[in-house]
Amino acid sequence: MRDELAKRLVQGLKNAGINFVTYLPETRLSQILPLIQDDPNMELIAAASEQEAVTIAAGATLGGKQAAVYMENTGIYVSCYSLLVVGKQLGVPLLLVIGFLGGVPDQRNSFLYATIGHHTIPVLQGLGIEYVVIEDAEKLETRINDAVRAMNALRSPMALLFAGEFSV
Amino acid sequence: MIRHECLELLAAKMTDQLVVTSQSGQRIEWSHLSNHEGNLLVGMMGCAIGVGMGLALALPHRKVIVLDSDGSVLLSLFNLATLGNLQPKNLVIYIFDNGVYSGSRISYPTATSGNTDLEAMAKGAGVTTATTIRELDDFKNRGLEALERNEVSFIVCKVEESLIHREIQRPTTDLVENKYRFVRYLEGTEGKIIPFIGRG
Repeated sequence: MRDELAKRLVQGLKNAGINFVTYLPETRLSQILPLIQDDPNMELIAAASEQEAVTIAAGATLGGKQAAVYMENTGIYVSCYSLLVVGKQLGVPLLLVIGFLGGVPDQRNSFLYATIGHHTIPVLQGLGIEYVVIEDAEKLETRINDAVRAMNALRSPMALLFAGEFSV
Repeated sequence: MIRHECLELLAAKMTDQLVVTSQSGQRIEWSHLSNHEGNLLVGMMGCAIGVGMGLALALPHRKVIVLDSDGSVLLSLFNLATLGNLQPKNLVIYIFDNGVYSGSRISYPTATSGNTDLEAMAKGAGVTTATTIRELDDFKNRGLEALERNEVSFIVCKVEESLIHREIQRPTTDLVENKYRFVRYLEGTEGKIIPFIGRG
């Protein structure tokens, strides 16, 4: 991902009110991490598992933060349980910022990732989590803002799946 | 020592703390002992410590208590590593370790009835203050003193299995109802709107 895209992504999160980010790092969007780390208005929390990242973000949301969880799409499989327990059952909004490996628009797709990518959207659908696939930066800030507004209104996690030029 | 005795002592200490409970007999016992608006019930096992950490980080000036079980910790061991590194000073975690999956009705043993030592695991993960309490008098002293300390506490309470939770009334408060009661309590005590509530 180009540096300029990373800056716009982080600024888009900030503009939408996100001020607390839990994460496990991955390859496609990792340039956002130092930007969040260096931002005095955002809190960045490293988790040991995506399942945990979801629960910490949920606690922060209930405590008054607007939280995002940054993960690879493999993390969706790892965190299904907590997404269901604190995201859907308890009804806590969380913005899932996901590097979408192995999907059709993944510019670095290979046999390593394709199966992972193939099942990501059906799993999100099975969990009842709305998603948007973002392949280019057109109206990026608007799409992030729309997602945050929608997740708060739904009281539910919402996923942004970044691929296309974000996966270069 | 049984869990209900510990929870009774703890309930008497509640003022404005936030208490996160997970699914196990303790959530029934705790809801019977405490109707505090700062109680947050997380409906399944393995999520309460994470939610408690998030609350503690979001509200560093509030004391956050997590009531959890050995089975729940074993389901989410990754929490120990994160706890060991974050060390939230306002977080007190009580693990009521009865060595069995009591909810299974046949009380099938957990790993802690074998060779597994949760205190040692927590210490190895960096939670250097982790400790084990085996007697009620010790809980009255060291267990309750943790509420006054300004450091993360991970207290493994080795308790005998008790079936009191099967004999008392089960809470009927819906999870979402409980969440809103908790959030409204926070809004009132923090004097701010919780952002996700949004405009009506």
